[in-house]
Amino acid sequence: MSYLLGKRGVGFKLLAVLLAATAVASACGSDSSSDDAAPAATTAAPAEETATTEAPETTEAPATTATPTTTTEAPPVGPSQGGSASLAIEAEATGLRPWEDTCSSPCYNMMNAVYDKLTEQYADGSYGPMLAKSWESNDDYTVFTVQLQEGVSFTDGTALTAQHIVDMFAVQQTGAASAGVIASSNLIGVEATGDLEVTYTLSATNGPFMAVLSRAPMGMVFNAALVPAGDDDAMAAAANAPTGIGTGPFMVTNRDVDNKTEMERNPNYWMSDNFGTQLPYLDSVSFHPIPDEGTRLDSLSSGTVTAMQTLRQATIRDARTVAEDGSLWMFEFQGNNAGGGMFNVLVPPYDDVRVRRGLIMATRQDSIIAALGGEGISEPATQLYAEDSPWYSEEAAEAYASYDFDGAMALLEDYINDPDRSDGKAAGEKIDTVLSCPPDPTLIAAMEVTQQFWNETGLVNTELTAFDQATHINMALGMGNEFRGEHEVHCWRWGSESDPGGENSGSAPWETSPFNFSNWHDPEHYALLEEARTTDDVAARAALYGQASIMVNEQVPIYFSGGTATAIATEAGLGGFDSWILPDGEIGIGHPSAEGRWGQAYWTE
Amino acid sequence: MLAARLVRLVATLLAVSFLTFFLVNTLPGDPINALIPPDAQQDQEFVAQLREDYGLNDPFLVRYGSWLGDAINGDLGRSVITDQLVTDEIKHRIPVTAELAVVSIGLALLLAIPLGVTAGYRQGTKIDQSISALAQFLLSIPSFIVGLILIYFLSIRLRWLPATGWTRLTESVTGNIKTVIMPAVSLALTEIAVYTRIVRSDMINTLKETYVLSAKSKGLKDRFILFRHALRPSSLTLTTIVGLNIAGLIGGTVVIEQLFALPGLGKRLLDAIFQRDFIMVQGVTVFMACVYVVINTCVDLFYMIIDPRIRRKS
Repeated sequence: MSYLLGKRGVGFKLLAVLLAATAVASACGSDSSSDDAAPAATTAAPAEETATTEAPETTEAPATTATPTTTTEAPPVGPSQGGSASLAIEAEATGLRPWEDTCSSPCYNMMNAVYDKLTEQYADGSYGPMLAKSWESNDDYTVFTVQLQEGVSFTDGTALTAQHIVDMFAVQQTGAASAGVIASSNLIGVEATGDLEVTYTLSATNGPFMAVLSRAPMGMVFNAALVPAGDDDAMAAAANAPTGIGTGPFMVTNRDVDNKTEMERNPNYWMSDNFGTQLPYLDSVSFHPIPDEGTRLDSLSSGTVTAMQTLRQATIRDARTVAEDGSLWMFEFQGNNAGGGMFNVLVPPYDDVRVRRGLIMATRQDSIIAALGGEGISEPATQLYAEDSPWYSEEAAEAYASYDFDGAMALLEDYINDPDRSDGKAAGEKIDTVLSCPPDPTLIAAMEVTQQFWNETGLVNTELTAFDQATHINMALGMGNEFRGEHEVHCWRWGSESDPGGENSGSAPWETSPFNFSNWHDPEHYALLEEARTTDDVAARAALYGQASIMVNEQVPIYFSGGTATAIATEAGLGGFDSWILPDGEIGIGHPSAEGRWGQAYWTE
Repeated sequence: MLAARLVRLVATLLAVSFLTFFLVNTLPGDPINALIPPDAQQDQEFVAQLREDYGLNDPFLVRYGSWLGDAINGDLGRSVITDQLVTDEIKHRIPVTAELAVVSIGLALLLAIPLGVTAGYRQGTKIDQSISALAQFLLSIPSFIVGLILIYFLSIRLRWLPATGWTRLTESVTGNIKTVIMPAVSLALTEIAVYTRIVRSDMINTLKETYVLSAKSKGLKDRFILFRHALRPSSLTLTTIVGLNIAGLIGGTVVIEQLFALPGLGKRLLDAIFQRDFIMVQGVTVFMACVYVVINTCVDLFYMIIDPRIRRKS
């Protein structure tokens, strides 16, 4: 017995040792938070300064695209120089090669720190200079001549020249991410016509071509000498963005895939802020993939990281709650990006517009938004463009198949009782549908609500399926069945802040290509998009996109739930996401899709 | 005897690698889909060249032979998505997964052995019932729930430990301890329950053996009897389970790796499956199979160390 009592004592001692080890470890470790930011202050936060760089000559600025919405007041004091920041991202980047790696919001955060683009978007959505100082085109928009900034060098000291852009093109032509963009933008040649002058030649007119150079695959400038053709090891190394590959504000110092990517400031970065302070403000920045939404917010709340990004409304709602005590700052953005889905119009019964319209008219958008956790956050969407976009059309919004239960019943009954109905069933039989989303909890909730609405008609059997993201995308691509797609009704995200004319899509590809996931193609509709590329007159283009949107909403190959709110949440004091500037001193677009420009993020004084 | 075991080990590895190769190759879909973007797949000449380059036109056995030849030389291929060498990926991630497995099982053994011995020795008493109830309770809590609770208290409330991430031992020992504690404890609690029950059950049977009664009649102390004479023969089942657990944890900690954002091997395999990265799936799966087979062979050998009767029979 005495032995047993003694043993129990040992057990408690073991627990005590474990807890003590925890306490010691927590006390001894270094803390990477950046409260000790260096005090070298500049003046107040960059405001609306006059342009100091030569303005683009021939590309007229479209009016406004999406307006960033920020729930926290702009920092009352200016940026300090120094400090570090750590961002929790929702997924690891496959690689940091803009021409090769399929990228989304998390990896763009990293790439934006390593690479500079040729052009960037102003706050109003129009395009301005970055590494491209200025540009002009011929009258039919088939030749664009770009002047590069002077005094720019890669992070290994190599000076940027026009030849670098030409060398990039050879790599981009076989790049998994860039090859398709080259084709859809009509680009056929890149030539150095001066030390710092590059000429892009297109096979057909493309007025908003410079928009293509604001996006990663074609716009991010890299040193192609580091990825010689056929060198597998160099290609693999490039995925970790070695020193010298970019001209951006930071250099990768440690890439521990799926754990953290650490970067230090590029001491020779070429850009300064409007007050002459050399950028970047931060000494270092690190990126930490944390896939679970809850623990990502926990990591911010606990001080494990100093910032997080999210594209989920439910997480924004939770982060807002945490931010109520002032410990967090919220930088939210709700632009053109919207949730929704598509019908595969090659598959009966979705080949019949009565079914497509009927199903959407039977569904309440506000209920779907609530299921997605977006109540009070997300606005209902009716087209590829948000209401504050220059491409938004009031007429298209009216043409959207809004909730109308009686109307839906009429359309579905008409189809069901049609003896020649396309699904081959007998007249009067119910319609069978398969609705699929990736297995995210909020998406599954939205699917279940949709199923209830459709089944409520008594005319539809709805089966729900959920596949991982990669399978979900592959099903829509349909690589195994000549790109017809293996999907029926498929969740999808639509819309982007990019000019819809650059790649002629507005994010929903309508040409006859593998990327036309809904398979809906109307030559008359596509002709409108092509015509919109032949001019840079914003009003004329908006009218053409408006007509195109009306046709889409009448035919309903795709549908919408609500705008996708996104956010970067930070420890109070870390800001700069709304106020970053282009080289001409004008304010940039902010942080669409929770993509920050870390080169101009800062701790307030 | 050892030679026969080694032959069996090699034969098992060959069978596992063949089956893995076969299963990966019979998965639906063309591997070429994972290699190039959809628009490039319309270039038939390019696709044909790629097929030739990757040996996809060769018969299955030729491809397996080629892969096996490379694998024997330590070349498991290169990821079709990231271009990284599979062996580099394994080398990069196995320290994380192995440390997590060893620490969690170490913690579990540290607590489970005394608890199991006590419960077995005090069979039927309130102490035994309390330990059994505790084991039942621990067994019923999923490890990710434990993880969430730990994050809430130790990270958010007390701010003692980082909620997520991993610091490698080579970077900082204290940093490493801070990042391994919560995931290891999350995994260990379930194991504590399992090990406690096993040790208790085996201890009860051992304590009925005549040599234990004989030792008692000689007046030897309880502690000496339990740990010198009873624990070793009561550890055979535990050894088997621990061996299986270590091997299982090499690839089976995906949920905890996901929750705590750890760069482990299980997470890499899961990502590779989602990305249709067939070369990575193949390489990592075969590696895990190797670990499984080797550890179980080690467990067989370990039996002989802890129980002389098995050694003599062998």
